[in-house]
Amino acid sequence: MNIQTLLLLVGLLLPQLSLADGPPKQNNFPDGVSSQSLGADLWREVRQRDLQSSGVSQVKGVDSGILINAHGDQWARFRTSKLTTYGSIALAAMFGLVFLFYVIRGKIGIEGGFSGNMVQRFTDYQRIAHWTLAIVFLFLAITGLILLLGRPLLIPLFGKGVFSILASASKEGHNLFGPLFLVSLLMMLFSYVSRNIYEKGDLTWLLRLGGSIGDGHVSTGYFNMGEKIWYWIVILIGLVVALSGLILVSPNFGQGRVIMELSHITHTIGALALIVFSVAHIYLGWIGSEGAMEGMKTGYVDASWADAHHDRWGKECRDQGLVISAEEYARLQGKNPAVEVATEQGK
Amino acid sequence: MIENLIDGPLWYFSLAVFCIGVLWQLVTIIFASRKQDLSLARSSSTSGALKTVFSRFVPHKEMTSKIGIQLVAGYLFHLGLFALLFFAAPHVIFLEQNLLGFGWAPLPHWAFIIAAQAAFLGLIILWLRRMLHPVSRLISTLDDHIVAILTFVVMLTGCFALLESSTGLRLLHRFSVELWLIYFPFSALMHTFTFIPSRAFTGAWFGRRGIDA
Repeated sequence: MNIQTLLLLVGLLLPQLSLADGPPKQNNFPDGVSSQSLGADLWREVRQRDLQSSGVSQVKGVDSGILINAHGDQWARFRTSKLTTYGSIALAAMFGLVFLFYVIRGKIGIEGGFSGNMVQRFTDYQRIAHWTLAIVFLFLAITGLILLLGRPLLIPLFGKGVFSILASASKEGHNLFGPLFLVSLLMMLFSYVSRNIYEKGDLTWLLRLGGSIGDGHVSTGYFNMGEKIWYWIVILIGLVVALSGLILVSPNFGQGRVIMELSHITHTIGALALIVFSVAHIYLGWIGSEGAMEGMKTGYVDASWADAHHDRWGKECRDQGLVISAEEYARLQGKNPAVEVATEQGK
Repeated sequence: MIENLIDGPLWYFSLAVFCIGVLWQLVTIIFASRKQDLSLARSSSTSGALKTVFSRFVPHKEMTSKIGIQLVAGYLFHLGLFALLFFAAPHVIFLEQNLLGFGWAPLPHWAFIIAAQAAFLGLIILWLRRMLHPVSRLISTLDDHIVAILTFVVMLTGCFALLESSTGLRLLHRFSVELWLIYFPFSALMHTFTFIPSRAFTGAWFGRRGIDA
């Protein structure tokens, strides 16, 4: 807002205020000094301290009658102090927890080792949906964290010049890739939803924390309750993040500053939650659980892995004759079965 | 120094390699020695060529269900890339001011963004399909991966430079384009220029023999 507009608004507001409120208020201070603050009421009104009110402006547009958005300060303070601080703490805490878990439990192996016999767990389309979402999410997470934490973390490391380039690139990349997250989320929703419906036994798994409480293993089907919860976290929080992101990236649809601020806060908290949980997901899928990554890479998992982690599904596969031999699996992967089986046996 | 190099000599060098390389490849293909076809023509080779050029835009019915995702991703990527390459406002201005001397109406900003998103999504899915499907993975060469990654980098640096506020980001995009242009004639990217002649050649051969394929 330029100085002419400000002066015009002040000029318009002054007589209205003096007419509405009568003579200027007298301030009496304890030491007996009194002062007549001519502008106090005006500036209280301008600053919107009591209540958000709208003035009159020749400029036509959303919020154009509001001279100063009082919520803007609250939002900026919340973003720069709480969001960045608590976001960093949550992220660091999750990395710490994962590291601690690795130190205590190590890599979770399969009792008795792998059988070599394989069973198909994911189709090509399911894996493409998963990895598309993963690539887009990682890109958005990195660029989003640069935008959120870049000022306190990256400027001291690289200086303002480099950070301005990095932030500009991140902003453009983040805005362009954002809608792709929604598309890949929908791909994920439709390709996995049928396997993520609550079924009998899921509550037991949850109450016993997947076998951590009580004796032994808890029987599960295709996905256990932990995986189902993660799936619905991704879908539901992901939808909130995607939709709030669309509100932010399309400011020309009539949404005011307050909606934009709320969208930003919702977007950031949701995205931080997804990033923090995804650290655990990546750890369990990649490092923590032996044989799990194979499923997302090739679509097949070892039959022993299926029995160990998803026993009811493993039994179903065996009953339906879906388990294939190591030779057949090698052939499907376009490898020489004899060489592959010999290599596996030599390990 | 780097700015001068990227905007000057390297740009002209990459453009020269691209133009000469593409021309050389096309001339080599056109004038490659072929056996004279002595068979009696059963049908028109021209109509066969035309038919094949267009019919190959749609897959055979038997294949559609198996390659649905490549089909959608392929069209998303190629149409998106074409739109953003030739109808993005910064590209139209660049071509007008630096190469052609004339311009045309660019896409509105929102359409350009959608085209870019379609291209990115298509390319990511196509590359994932190449990596995840065992047969596609086996028949893929190093060149296929370099082409995909290089094209992705060109698009990504272009996306980073969208704001047109940083010389560094503009140079990064231009440098990646120059690498892409230099690599173009020696890679699978040549299919940009060869896919229609290739279809036409096969179609003409089929047409002459009366093969309906």
